[in-house]
Amino acid sequence: MKQQNKGKNTNTKNGDGIIVLKNVIKKFSAKIVLENISLAIEKGKTTVVIGPSGCGKTVLIKHLILLLRPTSGEVYFKGQRIDNLNEGQLNQIRTHYGFLFQGGALFDSLSVTENITFPIRQHCETPDWNQVGELVKSKLAMVGLDGFQNYYPANLSGGQRKRVALARAIALNPEVILYDEPTTGLDPIRSDVINELILKLQRELNVTSVVVTHDMTSAYKVADRIIMLHKGKIIADGDADFIRNHPHPIVQHFIKGQVSDDDLAVLRMSGTMSQAQFLPRDFEQDL
Amino acid sequence: MIIGTVGAKTIEGVNNMGRFARFAWQSMIASFRSSISPCTYPLIWTQMNIIGVRSVPVVMITGAFVGMTLAVQAYDQLAGMGLEEHLGVLINISVVKELGPVLAAVMLAGRIGGALTAELGTMNVTEQIDAVRSMGTDPVRYLAAPRVLACLLLTPVLIIYADLMGIIGGYFVSVVQLGINSRAYWDFSASGVELWDVSIGIIKGLFFGVAIAVISCYKGFTCKEGAHGVGQACTEAFVASFISILALDFALAVIFKAIYNTFWQIKSLV
Repeated sequence: MKQQNKGKNTNTKNGDGIIVLKNVIKKFSAKIVLENISLAIEKGKTTVVIGPSGCGKTVLIKHLILLLRPTSGEVYFKGQRIDNLNEGQLNQIRTHYGFLFQGGALFDSLSVTENITFPIRQHCETPDWNQVGELVKSKLAMVGLDGFQNYYPANLSGGQRKRVALARAIALNPEVILYDEPTTGLDPIRSDVINELILKLQRELNVTSVVVTHDMTSAYKVADRIIMLHKGKIIADGDADFIRNHPHPIVQHFIKGQVSDDDLAVLRMSGTMSQAQFLPRDFEQDL
Repeated sequence: MIIGTVGAKTIEGVNNMGRFARFAWQSMIASFRSSISPCTYPLIWTQMNIIGVRSVPVVMITGAFVGMTLAVQAYDQLAGMGLEEHLGVLINISVVKELGPVLAAVMLAGRIGGALTAELGTMNVTEQIDAVRSMGTDPVRYLAAPRVLACLLLTPVLIIYADLMGIIGGYFVSVVQLGINSRAYWDFSASGVELWDVSIGIIKGLFFGVAIAVISCYKGFTCKEGAHGVGQACTEAFVASFISILALDFALAVIFKAIYNTFWQIKSLV
């Protein structure tokens, strides 16, 4: 379908991005979750992947860091093919990434400081602990949580946990930060705090960011480029204006948060509530 | 239809066996590397405290009751033949060679195995294991290896505690309650129980410890989503550990008997 709408199509399918996927297919048993995905993540930009729940967004972002391996296809990081590396070799590559998980994935048994220093302790043989203390302080200050060093994840709110997880993700000064639904489960103000943090890290650390979300407010705010996934395929790829004016009905329904006519018809055809409803008069005889 | 289902189940079973064998191998390699890397010692120390120190009471209680029950059950049989003074050798050899190690290991499978699977399973479903991987760390080395090493090192020690309490429990019932002569009790015990018998029990502990840890970690690493998935993984971990303890016990009994017969003569206990 030729796009004649406003905005810019930033599709750089087989270009020279910092991360490149080529013809990636992912199957779980017989179910195809990603269907021949080819895309290049541009260095220094924020790419947002949108799409309805279950469309393969999280599976896609996990392929960028090879937490999941493709059934077929190739993954490149800075020009080096990485999908054929073993776990030991991949561990070296992964130190260039930071990953913010949907629930934060903080280690329950470790304090905030221990969580943030985890990657440092794993990758530095003899860290200077005075410097590490300063680093923890600076990373927490970046996410607005300096002073929370001795807290445990159980004592933090959902938003605070995500901010600590973000501080941990940037502990090794990564080149790429992957965000898996960073605003899910947060109130609008906390969501905006996370959005501002994504922009701040982008500005101050000049990192490449990939954000998976279905929160369009967040997507429009942080994105240089938006990719829409639907049933494992990329159906739209461009900047915010391009997506806003995209003619594809699925894209329009999604960005406006409207259920499609077909889905609405199915809902209306399905069983009514009245059969299972109890009215006060049903109980009157018992009184 | 039936053939297809059986075939699919068989393939799934073989796949699971292959995955477990691979995980066990990775755990062994990671444990060896961790054992020679001082920076992982704090992790191992923490697990030794959780797995070993906190299991001492339950293992000691198990051992004591095993010894006491054996004394109560065996006394009448031996007294009927006028051999009640041999009760010590029967109790002590049963405790150190067989019942102490096996029942202590079963208790550990319940206490530690369930806890390990639940902890790692929860970490798995909350993406904490993925988080470890995303930071360039091998989760088998960081999470499984310290637990395997702690179980490997401390299960034999816990079995020694179980044996000790079993011996004391058996002595208490036999001598204090049933009135067997104390000197005769110990003399017959000393003549019947050899260092070899005690060693067998302790060596078994090494195998039991590794089996419990590897199975429990594997079930935690591969558990399905949700509370039901974690609960199911814990149950499967205990059942698999229990069966493997019994199977290992049988295999080791055959092997040790063959070794003993090669170098020494079998002797009668009475």
